Amino acid sequence: MLTLLKSWAQPDAFQTLLNERGVRWFNACLRITRDKDLAADAVQEALLKAWHRRDDFRGEAALDTWIHRIALNSAIDLVRRRKTRAEDELVDDEFTEPSASPDSEYSQQALEKDLAVAMQRLSLKERQTFLLKHIEGWRLEEIAETLQTSTNNVKSILFRAIRKLRVDLHVWRGES
Amino acid sequence: MISDDDLILYYYRDGLDANERARIGAALSAHPELAQRLQTLVARLDAVSAMPEVPVPAEVQDRWRAALDGAAQQDAPRETRGARKSFSQVRWPLAAAAAVAIVALTLVFQTVLKPAPELTAEVTPPEVPSGSDASAYERGLKWHLASTEQQLASLESASPEERERLVETIIAQNRLYALAAERAGQPQLARVLRAFAPVLESVAKDDESSEGGIAQLNFELRVMQGRLGAAADASSTPRSTTL
Repeated sequence: MLTLLKSWAQPDAFQTLLNERGVRWFNACLRITRDKDLAADAVQEALLKAWHRRDDFRGEAALDTWIHRIALNSAIDLVRRRKTRAEDELVDDEFTEPSASPDSEYSQQALEKDLAVAMQRLSLKERQTFLLKHIEGWRLEEIAETLQTSTNNVKSILFRAIRKLRVDLHVWRGES
Repeated sequence: MISDDDLILYYYRDGLDANERARIGAALSAHPELAQRLQTLVARLDAVSAMPEVPVPAEVQDRWRAALDGAAQQDAPRETRGARKSFSQVRWPLAAAAAVAIVALTLVFQTVLKPAPELTAEVTPPEVPSGSDASAYERGLKWHLASTEQQLASLESASPEERERLVETIIAQNRLYALAAERAGQPQLARVLRAFAPVLESVAKDDESSEGGIAQLNFELRVMQGRLGAAADASSTPRSTTL
């Protein structure tokens, strides 16, 4: 009976955590995939994996961190599998200048659009590397393992991404 | 000569050996213009990272819940297989009634746990957050502070590797909330959250200074939680307390 009660109580905890953290997981995956369906799939995959390993977690915080990380891994994996869209080539070919104005009198919308354009100018690997490092705080080695490359290569990709972003943000800030 | 690449690795606390870190740390202390360069660089990268959050579509949330319910229901029969086998053979009408009841309970469960509208509300530009966005953000921040307190409490029993890993996780989460605070038009809060980073770094070391660091962090966390609680009480609405 106790086992039964425990089993029914756990979905409750998962649902509560999902309500609280779902938006964050989804957005983290969305930044990686730039595709809402893939982001949703990644979170669902992570949730189910976490559910099947629910006895391994000692608390809500550990569970949140774990799901967040697994969701990101799933997101990267899903993007890799759907690479047929040749996103990298498209981004490189469709070079878009940020809509800078000499006055730098931007509305918030224009600013966000330009920031989004800056991110879009990054290749898939550059964007993923930058996000995993700058936003998610992963170690270089972890990124290398996940993206199936070397740590030195991750460093190079990261530096290249940052240089590209800086160029665009200089324009945004009206700096030379 | 210190390149921007070195500066950025220093900021990430990754990819540099101890000597390089010490050299860059000393240079940053000695040359304010270098520290300014790093600060400007990080501010730009933070700006590009602080993209507005996208709400989770309602149908996606429903799909996640359904998937979890499905997994839970698959597990439940496994745990009670022995007892239920004979029960269903002899008393199938009761079993059917129980199944109906489970479906009904699931529906009630889903309805009750449906997130409050503000959780899926569109996030507005940072300068003018709407009440509902501020509420969702505030709940997230409270959750982060409580979770940080929990994680700090677990540091004592953690191995040095686990300890370092935990602290890094907290620093990364902190950075996210500092970004969110800036987006919510709360630069002071963002500064306080960023000020946690050096204290957390000292905590990661697991030496004598770390105990003081943990005590200081716990104190700061409680002060912030108290302020958030007081602010919520002052402007308490049913929406700010629902989940």
